[in-house]
Amino acid sequence: MVRSAWRVGGDPPARLSGVLWLGAFLLPLAAWCALSYLPWLWHPQVLIAEPGDSSFSAGMRIERAAFAAAVAEAARQGQRPPQGGRVNPVFLPAPHEVARALWTGFTTPPLRRGDPWLHQSLGHSITVIAWGFLISALVGVPLGVLCGSVPALSRLVEPFVDFIRYMPAPAFGALCVAVLGINDAPKVAIIVVGTFFQMVLVVANTTRQLDRGLVEAAQTLGASDKRLLTRVIVPGILPNLYTDMRILLGWAWTYLIVAELIGASSGISWYINQQGKYRAYDNVFAGIILIGLIGLVTDLVLGWIGRFLFPWSGQQVSRASALAFAAVTLPLRLPWLLLRLARRYDPKAARPQEPDHA
Amino acid sequence: MLAVRCALALLLAVASLRAAEPPLTVAYSDWPGWTAWEIAIQKGWFKEAGVAVEFVWMEYGPSMEAFQAGKVDAVTVTNGDQLVMAAAGKASKGIVLTDYSNGNDMIVGRPGIASIKDLKGKKVGLEVGLVEHLLLLKALEANGLKESDVTIVAVPTNDTPQTLASGQVDAIGAWYPVSGQALELVPGSKPLFTSKDAPGLIYDFTVVASESLAKRKADWTKIAAVWPRIAAYLADPATRDDGIRIMAARVNVPAAKYALAMPGTFFLDLAGNHKHFARAEGLGSVYGSSAVAHAFNLANKVYDKPLKVEDFIDPSFLPAAPK
Amino acid sequence: MPEAPSDPVAERFRRIAARPVVLDVRALGMSFRGAGGKTVQALHDVSFQVRRREFLTVVGASGCGKSTLVRILAGLAHHTAGEVLLDGRPVTGPGPDRGMVFQGYTLFPWLTVVRNVMFGLEMGDMGRDQARSEALLWLDLVGLASKAEAWPHQLSGGQRQRVAIARALAARPRILLMDEPFGALDPQTRATLQEHLLQIWQQVDVTVVFITHDIDEAVWLADRVLVLQPPDQDHPGGWLAEAVEVPLPVPRTRAMHDLPAYRAVRERIERLIRPPRPPAAERLPVFKMTAAGDEVL
Repeated sequence: MVRSAWRVGGDPPARLSGVLWLGAFLLPLAAWCALSYLPWLWHPQVLIAEPGDSSFSAGMRIERAAFAAAVAEAARQGQRPPQGGRVNPVFLPAPHEVARALWTGFTTPPLRRGDPWLHQSLGHSITVIAWGFLISALVGVPLGVLCGSVPALSRLVEPFVDFIRYMPAPAFGALCVAVLGINDAPKVAIIVVGTFFQMVLVVANTTRQLDRGLVEAAQTLGASDKRLLTRVIVPGILPNLYTDMRILLGWAWTYLIVAELIGASSGISWYINQQGKYRAYDNVFAGIILIGLIGLVTDLVLGWIGRFLFPWSGQQVSRASALAFAAVTLPLRLPWLLLRLARRYDPKAARPQEPDHA
Repeated sequence: MLAVRCALALLLAVASLRAAEPPLTVAYSDWPGWTAWEIAIQKGWFKEAGVAVEFVWMEYGPSMEAFQAGKVDAVTVTNGDQLVMAAAGKASKGIVLTDYSNGNDMIVGRPGIASIKDLKGKKVGLEVGLVEHLLLLKALEANGLKESDVTIVAVPTNDTPQTLASGQVDAIGAWYPVSGQALELVPGSKPLFTSKDAPGLIYDFTVVASESLAKRKADWTKIAAVWPRIAAYLADPATRDDGIRIMAARVNVPAAKYALAMPGTFFLDLAGNHKHFARAEGLGSVYGSSAVAHAFNLANKVYDKPLKVEDFIDPSFLPAAPK
Repeated sequence: MPEAPSDPVAERFRRIAARPVVLDVRALGMSFRGAGGKTVQALHDVSFQVRRREFLTVVGASGCGKSTLVRILAGLAHHTAGEVLLDGRPVTGPGPDRGMVFQGYTLFPWLTVVRNVMFGLEMGDMGRDQARSEALLWLDLVGLASKAEAWPHQLSGGQRQRVAIARALAARPRILLMDEPFGALDPQTRATLQEHLLQIWQQVDVTVVFITHDIDEAVWLADRVLVLQPPDQDHPGGWLAEAVEVPLPVPRTRAMHDLPAYRAVRERIERLIRPPRPPAAERLPVFKMTAAGDEVL
């Protein structure tokens, strides 16, 4: 059983799948712990505790070879040798240091009056991402769908889009500032530039991958071009489009790092950048991990929602999950349900009852 | 109803036109001399001076871009970089000297290289055309050597510590905190020449766009008058620690760590401003320093437009020199 | 005719011949620019007529252009020579007057079964409530009224094709085009669906053009079988070798497979499509597949 789970195309049982999911995070964490806490693993430097008669000073990090040479030299000259313990370079903090940095990051008020708390910085970053991605999608998705549906349009639009998507979005930073000022607008613009062109191509490709048979079947049933788009192509690609958007949202985060450093510095990227400059790598790691966590949670939630959005894709949904979804979305669906009820209500069917009352 | 609305909109438009002028904007970035403005912001000294000014915290590169694009009225830069922006068409004047670099920029030699003279025939890694290049030329000149006596290897400043450690070069040029990192990474390495040996090679300016200076002369005079208060606050042992605490909070690092960067920066008070704003040849005057930077920029083809450096310096906004 | 048809059969063909022509295909040719810029001719000079309520099957080996033919009739591909007339009007593109059932499953996966059947009706601007009640009637006809609210992915292959037939018929086409609709089904399901299709055809006033590569299916279903042949020296594209009338009474039963008339038509078509070739057995090498100790003596 266990063996077959690891074969090509194997089918791991449900319980093993859960364990594997945990392992996906625990294994790298274990590797990181081992690298940090087992002094004989890596640890290429020595942190000087007591310089002795050497030219080092306490708190210095020295390459192991140089340290050994200094110790040997001291022994030869009959001087006090330097003392110290093996450490990793500053840019690899230990897990507990990062955990502490995360904790203090959220619990300590900002050093500067008026500066945002860490969670406010994160909130600001998420707002920038959300606006950038929304604007990108509002234009990019319709354009992509049209390009994927109308070959002539694809030939007109896609070569240029393909050309421009290789241009590094950060390089447009100065232009964005010149046009849009120094506040959030140029940051949003960078996210848009970074995701829009990819989005057009990805969506166009997804559209093209829609089973041609469905389009042809609709044509033989008398669908006009307009209705092909709204009634066949768009609903047909929705599940894949949804997946595309989940992936592209990840792209948006990679552009955030540059977006937040143009114009007025802000958000989680500035935090990471600033802490890096002063070599506070525990804070840098905390920031990076936070972004990863937000991305992972967003994706898990979107994936979970996706299962309910497309009931026709035949994904298994547990009863508890379905109930939870129904409860969460009830306020959203209520007007729609009422509208449907009102439609179902047929005044003619109700009329014959009137004589009974009379 | 519509008419009333139109009238209201018109009224609002007129009112907004007549409202007070918008606050002046200054882009400032992470260098002790510039971060010091934060003290005045936190202490409310601009309000006391009766001037509306908004300081916007940026990265150094983006702050120059925003200034070049006219999105901020003023920016904090080195006197050399002001000329680079000027060559690209941005008319501006430096009105306040915040400091000069006093050791935070340095040439670091590997173990066995004891002085600049030992560099003859050796390799030096630094960013060509940037400030450390200028520093190296100055160091060579001071030791009776020429640029052709060394081989310059182009290395990004952030990579200089590793390059020095790998033994590919015999010395590197870098500024704080990268220079400190190099000293830590390569045991036995030492600074051969720092900006302390050539004070005035790198002045740090607060630079205002010429059109804003012309329009808001009174406001800029008030802002310039705040600087001496800041310099005095940092000079007074009783208040210095509080000043450093405020600055450290701006860059979001502990004050003790931030204090390490302070000695490499020589803050200029009112007297210092007047001393270094005096027209003279040589690095003792910002005019002389800018002339040196201009010659360097031309020689290294950073730009090819001849500039009159005195057009970009204007000490007249500062209060009168103390008696 | 290979064998003299019995009287009721002859009578039936006379009645068909008296009906108006629904589909008129004249000297149809189709060529396209293939890989490497070479011009490929798919069809060459194909002419035939289909009369009202006739059941026509088209059979041929792969590469004879039968799929291209039905796609041209549907308006999904464009011919380069000749013309196609439906009720006297030239066919220029796809339209609801020609319903189509494809080999692949083309039910819209995001619509329930009944909404699939309603699709063509709604394209014809019928109100939703009326479309729904009509769609349910068509589902009843194909025996799937109970699956009205199911998603397509919950149906078997045979059920999906029945819904596809209902969907095509609901739009009330003049002619129903079927492109190997049962090609992906297992033999049992396929036989059931064949019978089912004939029952539907009995009850619905529709003309059928049915493409298949299965000679039995072609003969058993059809009034007339068109035999298409792949290109050869005389014909640059797929061409129409013969139109064979099937001299069997209607309704068809499985037992008719054993009638001499059936066998004769079947053999005739078989010979056209697969002319007898000398056996090549001696030329084939023999592979020994035995393991040690397992030799066959």
